Amino acid sequence: MSIDSPSGASLNEGASLSARFKMLLRLHKIEAKRGLNDLLDNPFSNFMTVLVIAIALALPAGLQILLDNGKTLSQSWDGASRISLYLDITSSQSQTEQLAESLRKNPAVDRVNVIHPDQALKDFSARSGFADALAELDSNPLPPTLVIQPKATHTSPEISEQLLVEFKVLPGVEKAQLDLDWVRKLHALLELAEKAASALGLALGLAVLLIVGNTIRLSVQNRREEIEVVKLVGATDAFIRRPFLYTGFWYGLFAGVLCWLILEISLIWLDDPVTKLAGLYQSEFSINGLSLPQSLQLIGVSCGLGLLGSWLSVGRHIRNIEPR
Amino acid sequence: MIQFAQVSKRYPNGQDALRNVDLEIKSGEMAFLTGHSGAGKSTMLKLISLMERATSGQVIINGKNLNKVKRRKIPAVRRDIGMIFQDHRLLFDRSVFDNVALPLMIAGYDHREIGRRVRAALDKVGLLSKEKNTPIMLSGGEQQRVGIARAVVNKPPLLLADEPTGNLDPELSAEIMKLFEQFNQVGVSLLIASHDLSLLAQMHYRTLVMKEGRLVQDQIDDSPGINHGEEFHERDSDMGFFTKDGLDDLPDENLVGDSSGHHDEY
Repeated sequence: MSIDSPSGASLNEGASLSARFKMLLRLHKIEAKRGLNDLLDNPFSNFMTVLVIAIALALPAGLQILLDNGKTLSQSWDGASRISLYLDITSSQSQTEQLAESLRKNPAVDRVNVIHPDQALKDFSARSGFADALAELDSNPLPPTLVIQPKATHTSPEISEQLLVEFKVLPGVEKAQLDLDWVRKLHALLELAEKAASALGLALGLAVLLIVGNTIRLSVQNRREEIEVVKLVGATDAFIRRPFLYTGFWYGLFAGVLCWLILEISLIWLDDPVTKLAGLYQSEFSINGLSLPQSLQLIGVSCGLGLLGSWLSVGRHIRNIEPR
Repeated sequence: MIQFAQVSKRYPNGQDALRNVDLEIKSGEMAFLTGHSGAGKSTMLKLISLMERATSGQVIINGKNLNKVKRRKIPAVRRDIGMIFQDHRLLFDRSVFDNVALPLMIAGYDHREIGRRVRAALDKVGLLSKEKNTPIMLSGGEQQRVGIARAVVNKPPLLLADEPTGNLDPELSAEIMKLFEQFNQVGVSLLIASHDLSLLAQMHYRTLVMKEGRLVQDQIDDSPGINHGEEFHERDSDMGFFTKDGLDDLPDENLVGDSSGHHDEY
């Protein structure tokens, strides 16, 4: 038995730089695999960990999706500052038509839609699901309504307000309502919700770091003996850290993918009622899911959090383990 | 190779494990360290491998003053020392091959080189056929030989062994000692802690006796052993494992004691 390698003479300097690099790549492969196997060795408890991380990520991510959708929704309605005039409930059909006709002559008005009480009741019972309850009513509680679409030149909030004041005092008008109002409120609400989502995201991101960190801490403790041995044969902290970092990375990756699945399934589940709801508002709106870049971003953030959590935990705990 | 100058070690619990120990073990020397348990043998080995730090005095290994080695540099020091333990300290979830390969993987060797060196080391300890087994499938003696293969695979100039035969019967112990002699014959320095007096009596090497943290006896045995050239020429032929790296070119006197830098050569 003999070794006749040319590098045999470089006894304790270790290997050449390129060989080291190649070995490093190989080590990474081995350790990535080992980290993965560690996860698969204990599938149930690790699945629980991954699930917890996924849910923690799904909450802020889901909220963010809803907010994004809310924003597109409010934007598409920004220009549509329609004014609804609810007429006196006793107004006759001819009175209603007369008022509509006079409004159509107003230079600021583009279109006027007349919604008769019968029609309104029919639509309402068809769409709201209260058909049975509505059938019990003796008389139609809905007033005749005029929906006024101002000309495009008259849709700014200020002019809309002016029109509103102008229309409010017309004879037979019970109540005038600017649809922009609730768009504005929606905006304010969205802004608030966005802040809340950021705070939630931050808090839950921190929670993910702690979850991963704690899981890695346990894993370091479980492998205490192994760490002592590799330290004794000259392993650096970086070498010991690597498999744990990979474990953290795998947690993040699996949790990211699972989180994505949770979100997609929830969105599919929500899509039908949302479309119906949008229909009530004569809107073609349907929920937008995660785009490809967003999906990748989500999984990327998840991997990053896994890696970071593991990094923060492993360094400290490895340092404390010294061979005896 | 190993130099202790006025080394004392006091553990945090107040126990004085070493008191003013002076010692020199030259490059290529093989020495036994004996004494009752608690006499300071293990502490001595721990100071050399930087598992502990001296409270006072200087420990110089391979020309390096260990007092000056920072925490980050400890791994580099340990790579130059092969360590063998009574309880083997193998990783039971990995194959024999992977266990022996560990020091090389840490040092970043190319995997073909690792394969060659691991097989050479396993061949040396007679376990080449068991490389795919896990340590749990091996007997105690075989496990210890895996531990030895792991200690020498990186070709360190110094081997430390802490009660390497503690759990083995006399026959297996003698086999292990024979292996140690063979490593020594190619220039590796060895310090072996053992309280197996009957075994020491059969071996004729320098024996350091410790008592209550002091070195009380330092006796160089003149009977047949390392100093006798004919014995190691006789065995040179089966030392392929180390010799191909140029160790067989070393002049004999280097093996007996002159520490003047021969380790630089390998």
